[in-house]
Amino acid sequence: MAGEGIIVDNVSRIFGGLRAVDGASLKLARGETVAIVGPNGAGKSTLVQLISGVDKADSGTIHVDGVRTDRLPPDRIARLGVGRSFQTSRVFPALSVWDSVLVGVQPRLIATASGRLLDPVTESLGALLGLPFWRRRVAAQEAAAETALKLFGDRLWPRRDQPALGLSYANRRRLEIARLLAAEPRYLLLDEPSAGMNPTETEELTQLILDLRRSHPHMGILVIEHKLSLVRRIADRVVVLNQGKVLIEDTPDHALDHPEVVEAYLGRPRAGSNFQDAHHG
Amino acid sequence: MELFLSQILNGLAIGQVYALIALGFSLVFGVANIINFAQGALFMLGAFIAYSAIAWFGLPLIPAAIVSVVIVAILGLLLERIALRPLMGAPYIAPFLSTLAISTIIDQSAEIIWSPESQPFPASISSTTFFIGNAYITVTDLVIFGFGAAATIALTLFVSYTWTGRALRATAQDPAAAAQLGIRTDVMRQIAFGLAGALGALSGILVALYFQSVFPQMGIPFGLKGFAAALLGGLARIPGAVVGGLLLGIGETLASAYVGDSYRDAIAFSLLLLMLLVRPNGLLGGGKLNALGGSGAAAGAMPTTSLLASASSQLSATRAYYLPAWGFLVVGAAFALVPLLVSSTYVLQALIYGFIFALLAVSVSLVSGAAGILSIGHAAFFGVGAYAVAVLARPYGLSADVTLLAAVVLTALVALIAAIPLLKLSGHTAALGTLAIGQIGFLVFLNWVSVTRGPMGILNIPHPVLEVLGGLRFATTGQKYWLVLGLVVIAVVIAERYVSSPIGRTWRAIREDRLAAQASGLPVRRYILLAFAISGALAGLAGGLFAYVQQVVSPESFTVETSILILTMAVLGGLGNLSGAVLTGFALAILPEFLRGFEEWRMIIYGLLLLVALRVRPQGLLGAR
Repeated sequence: MAGEGIIVDNVSRIFGGLRAVDGASLKLARGETVAIVGPNGAGKSTLVQLISGVDKADSGTIHVDGVRTDRLPPDRIARLGVGRSFQTSRVFPALSVWDSVLVGVQPRLIATASGRLLDPVTESLGALLGLPFWRRRVAAQEAAAETALKLFGDRLWPRRDQPALGLSYANRRRLEIARLLAAEPRYLLLDEPSAGMNPTETEELTQLILDLRRSHPHMGILVIEHKLSLVRRIADRVVVLNQGKVLIEDTPDHALDHPEVVEAYLGRPRAGSNFQDAHHG
Repeated sequence: MELFLSQILNGLAIGQVYALIALGFSLVFGVANIINFAQGALFMLGAFIAYSAIAWFGLPLIPAAIVSVVIVAILGLLLERIALRPLMGAPYIAPFLSTLAISTIIDQSAEIIWSPESQPFPASISSTTFFIGNAYITVTDLVIFGFGAAATIALTLFVSYTWTGRALRATAQDPAAAAQLGIRTDVMRQIAFGLAGALGALSGILVALYFQSVFPQMGIPFGLKGFAAALLGGLARIPGAVVGGLLLGIGETLASAYVGDSYRDAIAFSLLLLMLLVRPNGLLGGGKLNALGGSGAAAGAMPTTSLLASASSQLSATRAYYLPAWGFLVVGAAFALVPLLVSSTYVLQALIYGFIFALLAVSVSLVSGAAGILSIGHAAFFGVGAYAVAVLARPYGLSADVTLLAAVVLTALVALIAAIPLLKLSGHTAALGTLAIGQIGFLVFLNWVSVTRGPMGILNIPHPVLEVLGGLRFATTGQKYWLVLGLVVIAVVIAERYVSSPIGRTWRAIREDRLAAQASGLPVRRYILLAFAISGALAGLAGGLFAYVQQVVSPESFTVETSILILTMAVLGGLGNLSGAVLTGFALAILPEFLRGFEEWRMIIYGLLLLVALRVRPQGLLGAR
């Protein structure tokens, strides 16, 4: 199973008697944007938990750029270039916005050329004595953090010294994404990034993802999203999950208009042509 | 084989008592989401009040026991009222520290009221022995087992079938929903604490009957064993607590029979650590721990909770004041002038202890504040450093460069290994893990006679000589003052550099949200181990210097009291804020010099300070970082 991309093959995760993910397979290539949609409880978030290693699959395999990851801890998977956000955005409450983003770049700060980590003694000496090699790394780290924060215009950069705790809900979500982007991931997994956002904020987020696609043409993006209007605008492909199984995988228009999808979402055949967002907020 | 069976029967009796203590923890944990550190103190009070009722007022055993249970139940209610209710919405660690402060105050008051010595318990049950096959069991064991089992069954029936019991369970499951349904959740909390007090008192009396003695320091070890039993069984379940208690009782009785009685407690606490390592959710599962930011939180099952964040979030909004690393050099330089101006050995000696405790407070602040694992076991690391110097300098006669370096390295290593069982834990559970480490350390110092000379300690430690400085000898108090000050300043500067570096930032991120940190690609375990190693190195240096200053090293310097004292210093200074730790560590260490004649009130004053600080300034004097 070598090759580029995230390849999820026949993965299952069972909680008690519930098959949250039931033999799902999925591919995410670099440079493409894939949306996962499906009703509540379809297993969307569980799938992201499994890919990022936060939860472990009961069967099946996951590969990231040819490396088998389904048994690796989350930090190893993240260092392979997989950045993920959480459904309930997780920021470091007491850390300032600036420090939070720097934490996102920390793994790169301590990485060696061969992809391993500096040993703690070298890291300590670098940090304590401010050795030249360490200063160069810190400068690069700070530059990456600044770039990431500035992606969000004046939403985050002017607030960089505030604690993350004091940010508005939407800004916390932005901060989480900024932290991920600062690490320059090869793959970005976003778990309902627009949840709780108002229409203006959702539009801003849509623009951000579209901009990211342009500015990072080699990044693969996987988005779990309920707002189908957003999905139609950003996704190259849509994967519809239902009861842990992949129902359909197709272009947004084909997938979202498919009768089975409409039924899975709304429980009845599609009545009009104005089928839009399945959930608001 | 007869011995084996008899030990098992014997273990069942004491295990039933542990189960009762465990139930006190479980009730409070279930209903109030707090690990009540003072459970052990309530247990000890139960034993002592019964003792006084018999010895002073001549009551027979049964009425004395009833009086004791009622009084301690009321104290349990008061504890909730005074120490916990005002802290609603306070930072996550505040309630735990508050019960710790109360526990310190109660324990020390007991030493003042009843004297610190062990006293024979003035009542006993017939020591007639029965034989079951070839195994024997005493009537005392039977009575203890019977009472314990009856209390457990009564509690189970109460919780299962009465309206109040159902309301208690509802509050435990979802306080907000229970309140919506008209349950007075505050009353339920009080009932839980009252019941925990009653259970504590009952178990205290049974233990007094079992061992035929009472002593004021019995609270913490038995409290810790009760907690171990509760954790063994999954923490929030009645059957779990009973199974956990019985297993622990049998385990330690067998261990004391076959390994030696002095290792009884060390084995019980090692079992606890082993348990935390392999099955942090308890033998019978119990997912509840996860939901409470307990053990499984780190594994990623649920959000971890920042130690310092709170519902009202006022804490993080407050400013922290701290010196940059070079600031400590300036302060140190100023203090270096003191011996030129002051010639009193007494003053210099007091300042030296101030420096050593400042360093200890920094050591705890680093691991508890920056990395987020509250440590109630640092006296063990302090002790390892002290004994390393004592052993190498006295019998082997090595120079101070070698002994101090050995103390630093050895203690870092010990701290690193000790941290391994704590990696999967967070919050209150991790804190009790560190308490177990501290207790094991103390028991090793006390019982490993061939190396530590046991309770006698190691005497006549020679004056330090530094070979690197051409055999420079530090013989007078003034000379030692400079040695200690110099090394403490260097160590604090290094610690501050760590905390201000990207490593320190990573520690704080791990403290704030371990899962998010790990999902960001950070090797969380490695950073926690690094924090413990550095904290251990600092404590080891403090211990080594302490050995040279005291010239005597004995176990009583490294008790749980010392651990609590150091933690109090770190909390009062502002967790994670090394400047605050230096300030409060120094100030609280020299405070007793102003309290001559009131030494026994020292821990009570510290406890009160902690209690008041948690209410008025939970972020510490200079602000948590």
